[in-house]
Amino acid sequence: MFSRKPPIQEYPEVGNELDESLIEQVLDDAEDSPAEFSASPTCRKPLKPTIISEGFEFVGAITSEGTVHIAGIVKGVITAKSVLVDVEGMVEGEMTTDNLMLKGSVKGEVLCNELTIGPRAMMDGNISYQNIHIQRGGKVSGTFNKKRSM
Amino acid sequence: MAENNQQGCLFVGEGVTLKGSFEVPDIASISGSLEGELTAKQIIIEASGSICGKVTGEMVDIRGELTENLTATRSLIIRSTGKVNGAIHYAEIEIEKGGHLHGDLHIINSSQGQS
Repeated sequence: MFSRKPPIQEYPEVGNELDESLIEQVLDDAEDSPAEFSASPTCRKPLKPTIISEGFEFVGAITSEGTVHIAGIVKGVITAKSVLVDVEGMVEGEMTTDNLMLKGSVKGEVLCNELTIGPRAMMDGNISYQNIHIQRGGKVSGTFNKKRSM
Repeated sequence: MAENNQQGCLFVGEGVTLKGSFEVPDIASISGSLEGELTAKQIIIEASGSICGKVTGEMVDIRGELTENLTATRSLIIRSTGKVNGAIHYAEIEIEKGGHLHGDLHIINSSQGQS
């Protein structure tokens, strides 16, 4: 919307008038745009992922309504809508989540609906799931329980 | 693939019920139901097939149902229609989405020294 400025250079002698009209135009645009901006956040959920980055060690409980992205180490209890354990990520403890994408390693109790285990992942413990998908190479051991669909 | 060379293979057709202990040097393809012990190089359980008992194979491919005990020394694939209940020992595993797995999983170390 700011690309309308160049005309000023074409008529330098009437620059003042044009500037004023330009300002009005810009103001008009500015009045329009807040409406657009305020409309969009209501459409999408502004939930940003929680990130435990590489080299970070967390001991304790994590509770999130959104996504937890783990590239570091977490020891404790995780409750989240969705959990992604990255290649470098490590989790020790309890995990309750709707959607678990595992690329790193997990040790402990896992309760989830959708479980995806990547080719370089390691998993050990008691696992309850509804849907499972293990890609070739994923190392899993422990007790697996398929939950009845709710 | 197995139809070309059937030497050392076991085929159990749909509707057939077998009971006992079986040693198969090559491929065992099960579309019917089998009860007992089965050892083969490659085991394929088709969607209509079911095995109840102790199963040992290098490569195991499951589209049907398996209960009790399974050992796959090389690779184990559970397809989307597959159901496995019981203790499983494997070296490499793959489960397709929709596959059913209930029981204990153990990794076999094919190359010793590697944890």
